[in-house]
Amino acid sequence: MKKIIDALPLVVFASLIIVLFSFLSDKDDQLETALIDSSFPDFNLGSLSDESRVLTKQDIIKLPALINVWATWCIACRVEHPFLMKLKEESRLTIYGLNYKDNKLKALDLLERDGNPFEFSIYDFEGRLAIDLGVYGAPETFFIDKNGLIRERHVGVIDEKVWEEKFSKYLNE
Amino acid sequence: MIPEFGHLILIVHLILSLLGGTLPLLAVYGNYRSLEISIKKLSFMLFILITISFLSLIYSFLVDDFSVAYVAQNSNINLPVYYKLAATWGAHEGSLVLWILAMNAWLIGFIFFTHSKDKDFLSTVFSISCQVIFAFSLFTLFTSNPFERILPIPPLNGADLNPSLQDFAFTVHPPLLYFGYSGLLIPFAIAVAAILFKKDTREWASYSRPWTLLSCSFLTLGIALGSWWAYYELGWGGWWFWDPVENAAFVPWLLSVALFHSLITSQNRGVFGKWSILLSIFAFATSLLGTFLVRSGILTSVHAFALDPERGIFLLAILAFFVIGSLFIYSITDFGHVEENKYELTSKEFGFLLNNLLLVVLAISILFGTIFPLIYEAFTGGKQISVGAPYFEIILFPFALALGLLQGVALYLSWGQSSSFSFLPRLLIESLSIFSLIILILFVLFDNLYLSSFATIFLASWILVGTLQMTKKRNLSYWNFLRKRLAVTFAHAGMAILIIGVGVVSSYSLEKEIILSPGDSTEFSDQTINFQSIDDLLGPNYTSKSAVVSFDDGSKLSNIVTEKRTYLPSGQITTEAGIQADLFKDLYVSIGDNLQSNIWSFKIQIKPFIRWIWLGALLIAIGSFLAGVKQFQRR
Repeated sequence: MKKIIDALPLVVFASLIIVLFSFLSDKDDQLETALIDSSFPDFNLGSLSDESRVLTKQDIIKLPALINVWATWCIACRVEHPFLMKLKEESRLTIYGLNYKDNKLKALDLLERDGNPFEFSIYDFEGRLAIDLGVYGAPETFFIDKNGLIRERHVGVIDEKVWEEKFSKYLNE
Repeated sequence: MIPEFGHLILIVHLILSLLGGTLPLLAVYGNYRSLEISIKKLSFMLFILITISFLSLIYSFLVDDFSVAYVAQNSNINLPVYYKLAATWGAHEGSLVLWILAMNAWLIGFIFFTHSKDKDFLSTVFSISCQVIFAFSLFTLFTSNPFERILPIPPLNGADLNPSLQDFAFTVHPPLLYFGYSGLLIPFAIAVAAILFKKDTREWASYSRPWTLLSCSFLTLGIALGSWWAYYELGWGGWWFWDPVENAAFVPWLLSVALFHSLITSQNRGVFGKWSILLSIFAFATSLLGTFLVRSGILTSVHAFALDPERGIFLLAILAFFVIGSLFIYSITDFGHVEENKYELTSKEFGFLLNNLLLVVLAISILFGTIFPLIYEAFTGGKQISVGAPYFEIILFPFALALGLLQGVALYLSWGQSSSFSFLPRLLIESLSIFSLIILILFVLFDNLYLSSFATIFLASWILVGTLQMTKKRNLSYWNFLRKRLAVTFAHAGMAILIIGVGVVSSYSLEKEIILSPGDSTEFSDQTINFQSIDDLLGPNYTSKSAVVSFDDGSKLSNIVTEKRTYLPSGQITTEAGIQADLFKDLYVSIGDNLQSNIWSFKIQIKPFIRWIWLGALLIAIGSFLAGVKQFQRR
């Protein structure tokens, strides 16, 4: 009995390592195979700024575009916010927001204060569309090319470097 | 040349740390006494080598050597010199070198300040530490080499240091935090050696205690500075966000606090030996786990390090090797004797036990909340959930309450026997008086009372009285007080002050969005707010719109400057909040959008008592630092 108790920390910690390891090894490819080169999933959700306006896939018309998953509770989103503003000013991209499990008033408040880089923001309170997109968490960014296909995906903060390495090539196609 | 030199030195350091990680063990366990080396000399050499390597990296930053990839990514010709220096540890690669430097510094301290007759034991502690240092050096050289060149055509200018990191608190925050994290290496190595040698609990606890206290002090300062930085730099006026990286630092902090309390008991009474060993291992493990979570990219966070799956696997392997290894040794070792010391239910020992249980369960809950989204996703095949501030606040509250109540009475308890609780009525009456006094002051200051702050303010009064009363009761002379009770008084009173800060700021904070053009004014709370002027400014590496907003409460007029900066190299825009700091309330203004030609939006916040949070943390850090230093004198 005493031996079992002594081995308990070992067993618990080893299982934690195994879980983390399994997560690490299958994280990347799972993201890519599921969505790359497929068209954007269908959805039917309200707009953040105007509850009565119903948005669907057909509203994403200005292409090429970025879809940026964001929320006010997500600190990293605040970090990438200035970069999105800059992108909006300087490139011919359209940026659409997917406001994810957020408080509507706080979200509008933020856009008012820090600037709104988004053409419009889809208000996804229950994370319905996020599930179809396989969103891991906020922030997350998808690139949609001129034919409406998802070409690239980035989990985490998007900045100058990520933009150059992962996204800019699609814009110049 | 210099970067190549630094690179070479780092490789020499790697080889020497491998020797340090193997030779002493062979000498002790394989009985190859001819392999015996001077651990003092070796630890000194290792420290010199890593320092030279780090200095060559600093040099590359100072001379703008953009052929070094790491410099090119994190610096810029126009970056002020001070930030060039700080950029050395501003991203992943350089911070690792600093980390290794910190581990070497702790090791050298341990070797030179620990006086033990058992040379074999010291050699083993040294050797285990060297193994960890070796693993980190290997990791740095193979996956995160800061000296890598961009050849043959180096860029003419660098990409610049992330603007939100160009800031004083940020330049000091990482080194302190790394020193805190890496200091936990020493208690870990001591604990593993203690298992191997089946050391007497009192003896090894006395070696471990000062290092645990010092690491805890550095961790406290590092976390507090990070919180202060987030408060004024992110422009939101919050001081804690439950971001994964914050949790990754908070968990080892909680465990190190639990550990040194447990070590007090182990050292004085010879009990909790195995528990202290496990805590030492897990405090170290969680500091590595935090590093892994942040830098492997499996959790997204405000601290965006460059991500690379290879690094994650490497770090996880380091973590698995050392922690599973030590837990394995722990599980197969028969410690033989059962700890005999008996203690009563209301003794000091039991108080410490309760303190440890609460801290550890709290640490596990926070760790769980941090990685639960990952585990949940792994088991449900990609379904997402997010765990945010609401979870952590619900978890924290009951634990904080229990810990605070315990803290108030803890100093009255005595070793071994059951304590008399005759002090309770007095403690209660005095804390109620302090409580009423604080409430009265708050009412005078803010004309308002919020019931929601009562619990925390009572808790703070309870701890404060429990701490100060005890100091008074012992009837110590002034000198003896300084010598014996200063550290604990600082640390515990610091906790009380921190709790007052948290309680007041979470209930009494005010905020409002206003829209003004220059010359306009508006009323908010008891303040008249006037938008004075807005000007274009040119900084060393940014342009800025700088607005002056004045606050007037009838007796005092303060002009506060808030800026919107555009950093030239990257084009990133940051908001610099303007803060008029005061012991009782901060006036906080951050500039928003330019709505029309000259009309701007601002966010105004009044944050009462927020300074008390960091003041409390500072006292805790000073207290644990003093307690650590005191341990050296005792021997």
